[in-house]
Amino acid sequence: MRVDPNMVPNMLAAIQQSESSLSTALQQVSTGKSVNLPSDNPAAAAEMVQNTIETADVDQYTQNVSSVLSMVQTADSALSSVVTSLTQAVSLGTEGANGTSSASDQQAIATQVQGILSSVVAHANTSYQGSYLFGGTASTTTPYIVDPTSPSGYTYKGNDDVNSVQVGDKLSVQINLPGSQIFSNSSNDVLGSLSSLVTALQSGDTTAIGNATTAVSSALNYVSQQRVIYGNTESQLNCQETYLQQETVNLSSQATSLVGVDMATAATNLSQAETDNNAALAAAAKVLPNTILNYLSAPD
Amino acid sequence: MQALDATQAALEATSNNIANANTPGYTREIAQFSENTETNTDGQVSGGGVTLDGLQSVRDELLNLQIQQQTSLQSSADTQSSALQQIQSSFSSSSGNDIAGALSAFSTSLAQLSANPASSAVQQGVLSAGQDLANAFNSTANALTSAQSSADAQVTQTVAQINTLTSQIAQLNSQLSQTQTPANNGGTVEDQRDELVQQLSALTGISVTQSSDGETITTGNGTPLVMGGHSFTLQTTAGSDGMQQVLDSNGNNITASIQGGTLGGAIQVRDQVIPGFLTQLNTLASQFATAFNDAQKKGFDSTGKAGQDFFTVPANPADAASGITVAISNPSLIAISSDGSAGSNGNIANLSTALTNALPSGQTPAASYASLVFQVGNAASNASAESTAIGLNLQQLTDQQGSVSAVSTDEETTNLIRFQTAYEAAARIVSTIQQLSTVTLNMGTSGGY
Repeated sequence: MRVDPNMVPNMLAAIQQSESSLSTALQQVSTGKSVNLPSDNPAAAAEMVQNTIETADVDQYTQNVSSVLSMVQTADSALSSVVTSLTQAVSLGTEGANGTSSASDQQAIATQVQGILSSVVAHANTSYQGSYLFGGTASTTTPYIVDPTSPSGYTYKGNDDVNSVQVGDKLSVQINLPGSQIFSNSSNDVLGSLSSLVTALQSGDTTAIGNATTAVSSALNYVSQQRVIYGNTESQLNCQETYLQQETVNLSSQATSLVGVDMATAATNLSQAETDNNAALAAAAKVLPNTILNYLSAPD
Repeated sequence: MQALDATQAALEATSNNIANANTPGYTREIAQFSENTETNTDGQVSGGGVTLDGLQSVRDELLNLQIQQQTSLQSSADTQSSALQQIQSSFSSSSGNDIAGALSAFSTSLAQLSANPASSAVQQGVLSAGQDLANAFNSTANALTSAQSSADAQVTQTVAQINTLTSQIAQLNSQLSQTQTPANNGGTVEDQRDELVQQLSALTGISVTQSSDGETITTGNGTPLVMGGHSFTLQTTAGSDGMQQVLDSNGNNITASIQGGTLGGAIQVRDQVIPGFLTQLNTLASQFATAFNDAQKKGFDSTGKAGQDFFTVPANPADAASGITVAISNPSLIAISSDGSAGSNGNIANLSTALTNALPSGQTPAASYASLVFQVGNAASNASAESTAIGLNLQQLTDQQGSVSAVSTDEETTNLIRFQTAYEAAARIVSTIQQLSTVTLNMGTSGGY
C-alpha cells in the first residue's frame, strides 16, 4: 500500500500537540492551579464560585467576631463597674439605715451615693468607637442626659431596640442591651433606686433609707442577671471564632483540591511533556531530511 | 519514435509532479501507456509499439467527500470553540473582576456593615461593592454581546466568501464540461475545483453530487449553491433582532437550517449558545436586583426614611445584565436600619438574605452564577474536545488522501530514473536503426563487400 509521502502535516501536528501539553504543564506549575479557565474543569470552576464567596464571607465573619467581641467586652466591663458601684451603694445604704448614723453622716453618705449615681450614668453612657453601647439602636445619641424634671434626674434618649451582628451564614449574635432595659427598667430601676436612696438619706428617714437600699439591692441583682446576656454573647463569639478558623481551613483545602495542582504531579507532567516534545522534534529532524536524493550520486 | 514521445511525456509528468509537490490541492498525475496492436506482416508478428493515452490524475472522490464533511464539522467546532474561549475568560475567577468576585465582595461589605452600621466609610464600601457588582454584570453581558456581534460579522464575511467561491467553482465547472475528454480528466482544472470545494466546505456544510454538466453543490438542507456552470448567490439582511439573516437566491430565509462550517458555527454561537447564556445572566441580574430592592424597602436609611431601590434594572428583560446600575449615589440611602434610628443594623440581615436566599429561579445568586460558569466552561470544553476529535479523524482521512494523491519526491525521483533509462534505451534503438540503415544503404557502393 502506498503511504502518504507528505509527513510534514503529521509531524507538525505531533509537534504542536507536544508543545500544547508542554504549555499546559508549564502553566500549571507556574500558576499552581489546574483550573485556569472554566473549560479546564467546568464542575470545579462552578464549585469555586461558591468557595470564593464563602471564603470571603468567612474572612469577614472572623473580623466581625473580633470587632464585636471587643465591643461586648467593653459593655461587659462597664456593667461590671456598675455592679461594683451598686454593691458599694447597698453597703452605704445599709450604713445610712443604721440607727447609729447621725444626720451629718447620712448627708455625707447621700453625697457619696450621688457620686455613685453619676458614675453609673457615666457607665451607662459608655461608647465604643463612637457609638453608645446602651442606647438601643440609637447609638449616635447620648443615652442618658441630665433632666431635673425626671424623678431620677436623668432622661433616657435611646430606644428599646437591639442590634445583632452577623457572624455566620445563619448566625447572628445580639450585641447590645438597651439602657431602658438595664438602667431605667420600670420594675428594677437602677437610676431611680439610687436617686431615691439619695433623697431618703438626705431626709434622714431610716425606713425610707432601708426601703431604698432594698430597691438598690434588687436592682443590683437584676443588673448581674443582665450581664449574663453579654457573657453568653462572648462565649458564643468565642465558639464561632473557633468554628470560623476551622471553616477557613476547610474552604482553603477544598479550593486546593478543586483547582489546585499537586506540585509533584505537575512537575512530573512537565518533565514528561518536555520529553515528548524533545522526542517529536528529534523524530522530525531525523525523518524529514531523509530522501532518496541523499543516496543518489550526482549525475556526471 | 512512439517510444520516445511516450517516455518524454512520462518525464514531463514526473517533472510536473515534482514542480507541484507543495502546491495545495495538487493531485499527482501519471502517464498512462498502452501497447498498440501487433502488426502481422506476411505471417511475421511484430509489436505495434506504445501509445500515450494521457495523463491521469490520481484521486479518490469518496475520500474527498468525507474530507469535505469532516472539514465542515471541524470548522464549525473551531468557530464555536474560539468564540467560547473569548467568552469564558470573563467567567474566569482569575480575571478578578468577574461576577463571583463582585458578589463575594458585596456580601463581605454587608457583613462588615453589620458590625459597623454607623460608619460612613463602611457604608461607602457597600455602595462601591454594589457598583462593582453592577459593573461586573455589565461587563460580562458586554463580553457576551460583543462575542455575539463578532459572530454576526463573521456571518456576513463568510457569506461573501461563499459567494466568491461558488462563482469560481461554477466557472471551473463550465470549463471542465468543455474540456473533459476520456483521455484528459481535466487534471489541473479539477484540482483547482476540488481545492475550492474543499475551501467551501470549511465555510458551510455542503452536499456535492456529480451530474452531466459538472458538480452540483447544495447546502446541507438542499439550497442550491452551484449547478453546473451557474452559481446561486446567498445574501444577508438584518433581521428583526438586528442580526444578519442568510437568504438564498430567491430571498427565502435559510439561516436556521444552515449547519456546519464557519457559517454554521457562527450562527449556532450567535443564535443559540450566547442567547442561552445571556438569558440566564439577565434573569440572574433582574431577580437579584428585585430581591435586593425588596430587602431595601423593608428597612430605613440613615436619615430615617423608608428604603428605596438600590439597583435600577432596565425595563426590557434583555437589557437587565447589561443595563443594571446602582440607583443611589449617597451611602446614607442604604437601608441599614430596621427601626429608623441611625445606629440600627436590623435590616442588614434582610439585605444579606437577598444574597443567600433562593431567587425565584430556585437557586441562590451564587449558585445560579456557578451553574452559568459550569455551562460556559462545559460548552467551551466540549467544543474544543469535538474539534480535537474531528481533527484526528480529518488527519487520518488526509493521510489516506495523501497516500492516494500526494506527490512523493522519492517516488518521482525513482520514476525519473526509470523514464530516463527508458528514454535512453529508446534513443539507443533509434541510433541503432540509423546505423543499420546506413550500413544497408552503403551496401554495394564503394568499399563494398
